[in-house]
Amino acid sequence: MAETSNKSPIDSDMIRCVGLTKTYPRASGNVRSLRGVDLAVRPGEFITIRGPSGCGKTTLLLMLGGMLHPTSGQVRVSGQEVYALDARRRAQLRAASIGFVFQMFHLLPYLSVLENVILASTEPDATVSRDRSRTLLKQLGLSGREDHKPSELSAGERQRTAIARALVNRPKLVLADEPTGNLDPENAGEVFRYLSEFHHSGGTVLVVSHGSMAESFSDRVIHMREGNIVPDPGSDTPNTEAQGG
Amino acid sequence: MGTLSLILKEACHRKVNFAMSLMAVMVTVALFITYLTTAEASKRETTRVTRDIGFNLRIIPRETDMDRFWTDGFSELTMPEETIRKFADYEGVFMSYNHLVAVLQQRFALLGRDVILTGLSPTITAAKQKKQAMGFEIEEGTVHIGFQVAERLKLRKGDSLQLGDRAFSIVRAMVESGTEEDIRVYARLSDVQQVLGMEGRINEIKAIDCLCLTADQDPLKVLRAELDKALPEARVIQMRTIADARAKQRQTAERYFAFMSPLLLVVCAGWVCVLAVLNVRDRRSEIGLLRALGHGSARIAGLFLGRALLIGIVAAVAGYGIGAVLALNVGPEIFKVTAKAIQLEGGLLGWALLVAPAFSAMATFIPAMLAVTLDPATTLRAD
Repeated sequence: MAETSNKSPIDSDMIRCVGLTKTYPRASGNVRSLRGVDLAVRPGEFITIRGPSGCGKTTLLLMLGGMLHPTSGQVRVSGQEVYALDARRRAQLRAASIGFVFQMFHLLPYLSVLENVILASTEPDATVSRDRSRTLLKQLGLSGREDHKPSELSAGERQRTAIARALVNRPKLVLADEPTGNLDPENAGEVFRYLSEFHHSGGTVLVVSHGSMAESFSDRVIHMREGNIVPDPGSDTPNTEAQGG
Repeated sequence: MGTLSLILKEACHRKVNFAMSLMAVMVTVALFITYLTTAEASKRETTRVTRDIGFNLRIIPRETDMDRFWTDGFSELTMPEETIRKFADYEGVFMSYNHLVAVLQQRFALLGRDVILTGLSPTITAAKQKKQAMGFEIEEGTVHIGFQVAERLKLRKGDSLQLGDRAFSIVRAMVESGTEEDIRVYARLSDVQQVLGMEGRINEIKAIDCLCLTADQDPLKVLRAELDKALPEARVIQMRTIADARAKQRQTAERYFAFMSPLLLVVCAGWVCVLAVLNVRDRRSEIGLLRALGHGSARIAGLFLGRALLIGIVAAVAGYGIGAVLALNVGPEIFKVTAKAIQLEGGLLGWALLVAPAFSAMATFIPAMLAVTLDPATTLRAD
């Protein structure tokens, strides 16, 4: 029997943003980083956003993650209007539903690998949180590295730690900003393989990436230029609408 | 992960910043502990110094012939000895007068020459003030002799001196003062009364005025008004030069501490604040990350203010220890007269534990707010 839902198509999207703009005032004049971006992402999609430096990819990603107020437009994540929430509830949404992976890893240098993962955990039971973190680290090939400091890890290991941290709360969405920017091809492949595993388990992934490797893991590639989503070179229309997950 | 755990781990990681901040607060606490511990000694030292300048108030019988008083150096009239007790018992007298000493002084023929035989009572101070007696106490049957008396009569400490029909032991031959002190013989009041046959009589009460009167009032006017109420049968003379010298001595010390204390606090607060700002700058990406992980403003402010509180607590304990060592070792070198009276006050540790963390947190407040308001998008896009 088919499953029925009262949700509108908009509510059933993992991400939907409409008319997103971002303008930075500068002494030399306003800089328009985003110029009215519309985007829909279905749950379970793996999307790569590509484009030249300064085209607004990171700005878009930070807005989707509730980290950067748009100048205008709306962002809905899991049916919630992100910027209609107050700061506390937006922080709760981030903690519970969104995992971040950054190019520079942003691991706290004074915490061990395990502690860096636990830091992100919202699980109130410390033992459960620790066990979950250990399991994730094991899955990511970091067994035996739990007590090491980030400075004692290779770049690939640091990024895998960051992925474990992003996944510790079982988020619905992972936003990754150039996650392989500092990695060699072998480690980059490893990172995408782990993100792909998350995707295959039902998670939604949005990756901002310069490299072509991400595309081979993606359901859809979105191209950006000068603050807009543009058609990819082999197509006439921008690839902004959600596809089946 | 708990905030305290994060604070401790970060402190261990950024040891230099933490140690420098700790040192700033610790030095401040140590200096204040040293100051407060030695402040009492300093006050006593100042009091001793000003006492050595001399009593600056002379209370004599109202009907004294003042021409004769200035010629002789003392009143020809006497008052009952109870006058000093009556004066001391008068309510509020110690707000204006302090260190009351009953005196009986007369010229006395000693081996063909006059000396000024001077009897001194023990000093009376306000019971509540617990002030130490300023005048030197003279034991019964002993005398202190002036330089000229000792020279003329070839007397030394330990010799015997016959006054009337009583023999007194000389316990001190004073150094040359260049004043009429050189021809004085000091003895206990009761002994002098007996030698002079004037039992129960005095002709002067020496005192020191309370300097709190000098701010915006004419002190002599206030002192006379007070005396008129307490002892209408007496009059007061102020030794203006001595009074001014005392006031200057004490006010200089008070102004010095009044200037130094806020200066020290401002320098320390600035030091802690700058280090906290550097700490925030150093942790910009960490703050951005915590925001991305869903940590709120309270958590981020807690990390910085909690760190400041931890610095304050550790600095309070360490600063108290250092301050105590300084006070007990350096204090006696500075305050030689009252060296033995320098004592450690345990209560100051409690105060240090309250004030130092609060002070440290206040100095870190602005940097903590900077951290809270830091735009995570800016710090995270710095990639």
